[in-house]
Amino acid sequence: MRRLFKLIKTFSLWELLMGLMLTVKYFFKSKVTVQYPEERTPNSPRFRGIHALRRYPNGEERCIACKLCEAVCPALAITIEAEPREDGTRRTTSYEIDLFKCVYCGLCEESCPVDSIVLTRFDDYHITQRGQNILTKEKLLAIGDRYEEDLAKDRAEDARYR
Amino acid sequence: MSDIEIEIDDKKYSAKPDQMVIQVADAAGIYIPRFCYHKHLRVAANCRMCLVEVEKSPKTLPACATPVTPGMKIFTKSPKAIAAQKAVMEFLLINHPLDCPICDQGGECELQDLAMGFGSSHSCYEEGKRSVKDQNLGPLIATDMTRCIQCTRCVRFGEEIAGLCELGATGRGENLEIGTYVERTMQSEMSGNIIDVCPVGALTSKPFRFTARAWELDQFPSIAPHDCVGSNIFIHTRGGEVMRVVPRENETINQTWISDRDRFSYEGLTANRVAEPHIRIDGKLKSTDWQRALEFAVLKLQNSLEKKGANELAALISPNSTLEEFYLFQKLLRQLGCDNIDHRLRQIDFSDSFFPRANFSLAELEESDGILLIGSHLQMEQPLAAVRVRKAFLKGAAIAAINPVDFRFSFSLKEKNIIAPHHLVNALAGVAKSLCEMNSKSIPEFLKNSSVSETDKKIAMCLFSKKNNFILLGALAMNHPEAALIRALADFISEMTHARVIHFTEGCNATGAYLADVIPKKGMNVSQLLADPRKIYLLFNVEAEDVANPAAFTHALSQAECVISLSTFKNELLEKYADVILPVAPFSETSGTFVNVCGEWQSFKGVAKSFDESRPGWKILRVMGNLFQADGFEYESSEEVLSSLREESRLSEESRLSCQRKLASSAFKKDTGCHLSQKTLGWHDNMLSRIGEIPAYSTDAIVRRSEPLQKIQNENGLAAARLHSHTAHELKIKEEMIITIKQNQTEIKLPVKIDDRIAKQAIYIPAGIPETNSLSELFGKVEIKI
Repeated sequence: MRRLFKLIKTFSLWELLMGLMLTVKYFFKSKVTVQYPEERTPNSPRFRGIHALRRYPNGEERCIACKLCEAVCPALAITIEAEPREDGTRRTTSYEIDLFKCVYCGLCEESCPVDSIVLTRFDDYHITQRGQNILTKEKLLAIGDRYEEDLAKDRAEDARYR
Repeated sequence: MSDIEIEIDDKKYSAKPDQMVIQVADAAGIYIPRFCYHKHLRVAANCRMCLVEVEKSPKTLPACATPVTPGMKIFTKSPKAIAAQKAVMEFLLINHPLDCPICDQGGECELQDLAMGFGSSHSCYEEGKRSVKDQNLGPLIATDMTRCIQCTRCVRFGEEIAGLCELGATGRGENLEIGTYVERTMQSEMSGNIIDVCPVGALTSKPFRFTARAWELDQFPSIAPHDCVGSNIFIHTRGGEVMRVVPRENETINQTWISDRDRFSYEGLTANRVAEPHIRIDGKLKSTDWQRALEFAVLKLQNSLEKKGANELAALISPNSTLEEFYLFQKLLRQLGCDNIDHRLRQIDFSDSFFPRANFSLAELEESDGILLIGSHLQMEQPLAAVRVRKAFLKGAAIAAINPVDFRFSFSLKEKNIIAPHHLVNALAGVAKSLCEMNSKSIPEFLKNSSVSETDKKIAMCLFSKKNNFILLGALAMNHPEAALIRALADFISEMTHARVIHFTEGCNATGAYLADVIPKKGMNVSQLLADPRKIYLLFNVEAEDVANPAAFTHALSQAECVISLSTFKNELLEKYADVILPVAPFSETSGTFVNVCGEWQSFKGVAKSFDESRPGWKILRVMGNLFQADGFEYESSEEVLSSLREESRLSEESRLSCQRKLASSAFKKDTGCHLSQKTLGWHDNMLSRIGEIPAYSTDAIVRRSEPLQKIQNENGLAAARLHSHTAHELKIKEEMIITIKQNQTEIKLPVKIDDRIAKQAIYIPAGIPETNSLSELFGKVEIKI
């Protein structure tokens, strides 16, 4: 009896049909694939991508060179040099993040008392040449300027959990 | 008084009856939080942080102001004590800004630390916080007075240690403010200590401002290289770069203080350095590598020696060099057959031989009853010795001074004789004679002709019939053309009064130089070497500003055929005349040893990474020794150099001390009268003589390059000829006039400043600054043209 069933199953292509059933099922289901890079998957406001340095709305850079991010960084990816600016305020003269060292843990953002260093949602970037892995202060501020609107929105959204 | 027994946290401790609770707890290693208490300052008990519970006391008591009583039971961590401390902390934090991220004290702040221990996570205070206007205290100290918690440590430091009440508290309660009242630069030469004393970030270091965080710094022990006291310091480095200097506690030397010169001189360490070895080819100085430079130097030296002979070689070394450098320097030269070696660059009189080591600790100055200062600007020259003298003064010591200028001291002088340099020996002889009379001893032959004035008698009274006397000789006595006579008279007075003499030498390691024999035994001394120029000069960190007679130094170099300079810093004069310049590491980059005036050998390690191609001096000298194929230059470390020096000098040190007085008084006897030596100098009673002091911030190459210290010095307008109003009237000179000053064929023009602190018949023209560098000797006859 069992051998007969097996024979019928084999010759009626039952297994194949079962597989095709799944295909047909997914054919009518809603799609999850996105057309990257034209389309992107949604991500959380807490997403930890490439870093940025933010400014205040009046254009003043937020960073006050307190060096807490440098101290907290577990990968020692941050290097800061500071001195008094002309107006006597405490500012960085260089702020560098080594992307090869960074582990994107987000502790720098958490330690920052002025919400200056942040991690953006932007995570697709590439490095083609030696040295490009170092994000300088200018680059970081440029990233911050470019995404400021989104960054502010994300922080506001997440504020009540902080 | 017998010890009493008290109990802290259920453990028994013995205490002295006059101790405070906090002192016993500190000695036992029990930590009681505090802000206003400092072990070297008076108790103020105004921060209330150290409240502890004491049995049978209804309230908690401040541990810093509660004397111990027999059987006392103290609880430092009981709920009552902790509650009291927390309450105090909350009060302190009410008005303290939450700006730790931009505060330089962040990470090393006592308030921050204690807020972690005793502060609460939120504040109940919702009213407005107070804010206080900042003060401008000059180029060394940055202020942020809003952060001040009114512990008054800085005020007490000024009152008690520095002896200059520059900071004070105005207002009461919440309106209490610390400040100078009238805005001005701090004048104290120890002002930097208020940075360390301040428990919060209200007073911070201006040169260090915002450059590094406490947690980034590595701390290394070292020795301050600017005066013969040998203050212990910590050098803080980041990535091999010196970031700042702070004091290291040493009760016998500097306690917890250091002078501003020691603290801020690090700014000069990297300024203007020689980066690579240079050699002169076809009249042009070119940079090269070590191998070539050393071979070139040795070849050049060898050729010149063969041509001219070893007697034509003059070797001068800075008194700030390390003991190892001294030792190898003289060893190399003696093997080359040269004895023209000297480190006493600013001295003129070498007619006696002496050894500057005092065989007691500086702390003993505190216990003295009478002190006589001779030609000493102690306050600026050895600020930490002045701290001790001030303590003696506060205990009632009588202090007298015989000086060419009425210098400001942190203690008041009971008697003073402000007298022109050419009368200094006479004045001293007067004191010696009146002491003879007081002691009813027969007056020796050489004092028969001396006259005794009322002032001389009064000065003698300061020392007469006291048990514990000290005579302190400063740079103005050491560099005086009659220094040997002054030393002999000081010795004579010390015999009369049982006083101990301290010769405060210039440079940080002059005692070491004597130990290593960096003095000519039979050869020529520095002033002969410059007056009678040699053909070959080997210089070790010597600049024109370092010698007694810069004009002669310039002339000597210009006529020399071979000049080899081992120097740390660039120098125009050397670049013009040197055939070889080899970059030497300063004290921060080399290991070495300094011997202070009390004979303490203090070794230190190199802490910073070497600047470009510069190398430790002992290594350069060692390789030069090897290239000369000299014997005994197989050292592998500076410790080996030191131990071989120790072996050689162990025997000679004690014999030197014993021969000191004998030789000095024989030098005196030769002259049998004070005026005799003046005749050879061409001096007469009515001349105008120069007071050539080296300002405190021009004493050595590092200090001269430290920007913040130079700023302070320039604020005081040093480049001027200062005269007493009486002298000015006689010479018909008025303030602000530009006059021409002529001294031994050299001439300069300087503006006049009338200053009644200067002795009559004298003109104060500082040396060691670029404006007066073309003048000759520090002392001597000066002519003035209007």
